Amino acid sequence: MFSWRKLGKVFTPQDVTGRDWLSEFAQAPATLIFDDFVRVYFSCRPAADAQGRYVSHSAYIDLSRQNLLEIKAIAQQPILPLGGLGVFDEYGVYPVSVIRHKQQVLAYYGGWTRCESVPFNVAIGLALSTDGGQTFQRAGLGPVLGYTPDEPFVISGPKIRRFNGLFYLWYIAGRKWKRVNGRPEPVYKIRMAWSADGLQWTRAHKDLIENRIEDDEAQASPDVFFSHGKYHMFFSYRFSSDYRNKTGGYRIGYASSTNLIDWQRDDSKAGIDVSDEGWDSEMQSYPHVFELDGRIYMAYLGNQVGREGFGLAVLDGELR
Amino acid sequence: MDAWHWQKLGKIFDPTEHHLALQCIEYAQSPQVLVFDQFVRVYFSTRSVDQGKFLSQVAYVDLQRDLRQVIGVSDKVVIPLGDLGCFDEHGIFPVNVVRHGELVYAYTSGWSRRVSVSVETGIGLAISQDQGCSFKRVGDGPVLGASLHEPCLVVDGFVRHVNGTFHMWYIFGTGWRRSSQDSTPERTYKIGHATSADGIQWDKEGGGAHQIVSDRLGPDECQALPCVLKIDARFHMFFCYRESFDFRKSGGRGYRIGHAWSEDLSNWHRDDDHPLLDVTPGEWDSDMVCYPHVFELDGQIYMLYNGNEFGRFGFGLAVLKK
Repeated sequence: MFSWRKLGKVFTPQDVTGRDWLSEFAQAPATLIFDDFVRVYFSCRPAADAQGRYVSHSAYIDLSRQNLLEIKAIAQQPILPLGGLGVFDEYGVYPVSVIRHKQQVLAYYGGWTRCESVPFNVAIGLALSTDGGQTFQRAGLGPVLGYTPDEPFVISGPKIRRFNGLFYLWYIAGRKWKRVNGRPEPVYKIRMAWSADGLQWTRAHKDLIENRIEDDEAQASPDVFFSHGKYHMFFSYRFSSDYRNKTGGYRIGYASSTNLIDWQRDDSKAGIDVSDEGWDSEMQSYPHVFELDGRIYMAYLGNQVGREGFGLAVLDGELR
Repeated sequence: MDAWHWQKLGKIFDPTEHHLALQCIEYAQSPQVLVFDQFVRVYFSTRSVDQGKFLSQVAYVDLQRDLRQVIGVSDKVVIPLGDLGCFDEHGIFPVNVVRHGELVYAYTSGWSRRVSVSVETGIGLAISQDQGCSFKRVGDGPVLGASLHEPCLVVDGFVRHVNGTFHMWYIFGTGWRRSSQDSTPERTYKIGHATSADGIQWDKEGGGAHQIVSDRLGPDECQALPCVLKIDARFHMFFCYRESFDFRKSGGRGYRIGHAWSEDLSNWHRDDDHPLLDVTPGEWDSDMVCYPHVFELDGQIYMLYNGNEFGRFGFGLAVLKK
């Protein structure tokens, strides 16, 4: 089992002032490392509208490289405006995953639209930054990864990585909408695709992670990290119903692979679980593993899927 | 070709005169044929009612090869709509059928309702093993949908197998707009083209958003429902087109039939007037003509099409006179 030592919560969106669009939630942390600081992208929300509906924006905070608990700067604006009328990302840009490539920063993100019979649908968009990741422009008005016969809806949770000269995208695809107490709840599974140019994607067309807790287990936020000759995936999973609490809520799972496509799930190795009390006592989700100055860290969300921010843990020992 | 013209043969099918499945009464939109030795099956989209809103449902009528006498109509579900949250949950309209060996492939246009705009669409595939009586969807998602440069409203697929390659002509949305601040969002779409080796994995020409037929009405022209047929030495495309705004009532802004021709399936020359199928004052197709489907039968070239109210009361027939 890996040994993660919790460093506590890093960022609390409720502490931020002067930004209406950043009222609560700081979801899906994703890092971009600079010489003097670590930029952590996340997704946040303004207050809900009269019907209780949210939109999501994505932004960043810069953390001191010497002390990751010290916030040096907070984005003045979202990194990307919402999409236009009737397009896939009209109501949200969440989550976002970034990578440097040539002189640009590429951001793959979940774009949200609102539907009539189900609350939302999601597809993955691409935006590019030429100013070091402060602002982004869309590569196109539509999604770069949309729906297919076997991935019919809710294509979300992108994590962009580059291994062996290819882009890899891990993401989730909806399997079904399940009616739970009259309310449609999405069931989704972890999938992957690869690409030479980041635009044209070849899909693996398979569920990468076997179900453990139930057939309708929802699997989310696959985050892949290479260490000691193996690929390590941390992800989150939850029950399909009654999951907005401690019992059925998100936990962090683990799988490993030597070839990027075939994965062995072993949640018992994940080495991080909910705390007895405090900000991550009920659930943990959206793990993001990164290396900085010889240490390996995990950023993750706590209760209510990051409503009150994200925290950090540091690995004692090695990821092998 | 100057001598070509369409001779109208009148309305040939009125859905209100038949008992269709799912309590569908009105609408027989976008008729498209599957020709059998002894008869011609004409698929169309009719409408059932769900919580005060319409659901487009696929049905068919079997006609004698004279295209006049009705043998019967489908009395069961032909293609089921998608489940909760699927791209085709709220309707299939139109549907294009094409034989593939012993199978019949149906390229469905699936509709699902949205909040800020009325709808989003995608093109699905359903396959029949019983000569087109019933179809099974190949998956819960579309084979062709929105992509990087086609942000919405990919729909109206028409597929033909030409020289070993599947070709699909379809339409893609260029965006939703309001004509004034308080008006309902309306859409604009153009005709595109994709190719495929297997009929399932498609490559959009030019990476998508490649309009293949020029506009007659300018950038606000909506182009819909392309169909392609080789007549003599050339490929001919028939489609319908209208203004983006204020098109539902008469006044000349509604659907008209457009036409283009090509010798190589790459370059299309628009020529709506040769041959022209226009509205006829005082008739069932006085306000609009739309959703053309052109096919060959027993040495004649026919067009099935809808008239007023987008085909609420059925479809008619014309024959090409050379």
